Amino acid sequence: MNSSIYKQEQKRNRIILLLLCFILLVLSFLFLFAGRYPKGGFTFVKNLSENSMMKNIIVNVRLPRILLAIMAGAILSAAGFTFQMLFSNPLVEPGFLGVSQGAAFGAALVIVAGSGSSIMIQLSASFFGLLALGSSYFLAKKFRFGGWLLRLVLSGIAISAIFSSGLGVIKLVAEPTKDLQDITFWMMGGLWNSNWNQIFSIIPVVVFCLLVIYSYRWKLNLLSLQEKTAYSVGLNPKRDRTILLLVATIGTTLTISITGLIGWVGLIMPHLSRKLFGSDSKAALPGSMVMGALFLLLCDTIGRTVLATEIPIGLLTSFIGATIFIIILSLRHQEGKA
Amino acid sequence: MRSVQMEHISYTYPTGTKALHDISLEIEEGSTVALLGANGAGKSTLMDLLLGWKHSQGIKLFDKPLSSYGRKELGRCMALVPQSENYNFSFTLLDYTLFGRAPYLSEMGSPTENDVDIAYEALKEVGLASYAKRSITSLSGGEHQLLLLSRAIAQQSKVLLLDEPTSALDPANRQKVMKILEHLHEQKKTLIFTTHDANLAYELATHVAMLKQGNLLCFGTKEEVVTTEMLTTLYETKMTVCSIGEKTLIY
Repeated sequence: MNSSIYKQEQKRNRIILLLLCFILLVLSFLFLFAGRYPKGGFTFVKNLSENSMMKNIIVNVRLPRILLAIMAGAILSAAGFTFQMLFSNPLVEPGFLGVSQGAAFGAALVIVAGSGSSIMIQLSASFFGLLALGSSYFLAKKFRFGGWLLRLVLSGIAISAIFSSGLGVIKLVAEPTKDLQDITFWMMGGLWNSNWNQIFSIIPVVVFCLLVIYSYRWKLNLLSLQEKTAYSVGLNPKRDRTILLLVATIGTTLTISITGLIGWVGLIMPHLSRKLFGSDSKAALPGSMVMGALFLLLCDTIGRTVLATEIPIGLLTSFIGATIFIIILSLRHQEGKA
Repeated sequence: MRSVQMEHISYTYPTGTKALHDISLEIEEGSTVALLGANGAGKSTLMDLLLGWKHSQGIKLFDKPLSSYGRKELGRCMALVPQSENYNFSFTLLDYTLFGRAPYLSEMGSPTENDVDIAYEALKEVGLASYAKRSITSLSGGEHQLLLLSRAIAQQSKVLLLDEPTSALDPANRQKVMKILEHLHEQKKTLIFTTHDANLAYELATHVAMLKQGNLLCFGTKEEVVTTEMLTTLYETKMTVCSIGEKTLIY
């Protein structure tokens, strides 16, 4: 009787998740035909093989872009979810430990240094993102006051500030007509440069990171408890936290090295997913991944179709994400929750 | 059978502060042991050592060195009821109680129907089964303590470590917790709890270990060691143990 209620809930969550996956698939297919060629809006082509230009655009421009949007949405929200559980704080995302600022600094450095090839930007952004994480972690170990979480928060703030000031210096010396524009666009985020080469260069690692996080979907609940409690139920919290921090950071930095900074996805999608699936991360984590993918796919499609000029995706995610955040907080306030 | 055995346990913090010095005691299976002492006496450190959270040689659990236990194996033998817990996500009471099933699951597994049934039973045992689908963020302080107990009960371990189990509770909830602990004692569980409340120690425990500044002052049945002289020495203030009918009052 008792487990049947639990089973019913699990079944309900599975159905919602499958429904979201189905919507994602349908929209991905439909959005292949959305764009500004041959005219603005949706254009369905009956016989693609006869229209080589359209075929080329769909296969080599829109399809990799849609795949990148899905992949980026999934990993950014999965990483956000992971950070929130690991730090037992629903207001945390990878930027929390200076990862985003470190990656932005790394990308800007390569752009200004003149070797702004995409692979160099990827490598540099990933390197500095990880360096920021490592530095935050190292500093937190060195601090001699407060709990582990507080020390991490403070060291994350300090490292973010250092990379932000470094980024400011780079922008100050950047050549204004080219490099500064590139840096500015990178910081606003966008998928307009996506191509198959970029997809293939990150897909193995990002999918690996997603799979590792997914495999921890129930254990993440336990890692949100006090470290000693997690230990007492048979976990090795230090090892598990280190693995998850690493894969979440690597997945995030690799993705934003291609897409530029895309904020709010990792903060908002886990919240929405918990609203829909409940707080048990066994259902809420995969839900967050699919919702993140849907959100970024929608934002990117709006960004590339609504206006004659493309709207950077980072601006859209910030605007929509902040709006949702305000609504969530207002609702929570009305419900009387802290 | 001895459930816990400690031989010449000492512990010094990385800062150089000595927390425990040469502690030796044996705890029989099914006994309820109070670790009694003032603040800073080393009670929590001793619990951490028993849990394996802090490391020290010389501790045996069911005649097997603690250090030779695997993580999950240890989780199946010993459960922890902390003083408080992080409640930053709105888990249901059932979700939270199910966390106690983790030592029985595979590395990346999740709870089965059998685990759900066991978790419901644990919630029933602490009187929270009807709130199973409620959010833990809506619980009162007393209900939180009961929930911590239900997770430990769902863990189905032979030894329970309880850190100040009634320190933040009103009299009604204190009674509830004590009844549950008495019931666990009847089930032959070994209960080890820290407290600075001598009345609670006397009421609940079969044995008392008194700790003072990291040293074991005495260990024995409560009737043997909870005396006016020992308590006065332990707390360095005048304490009196008196009997009123069948009750013993310490003040």
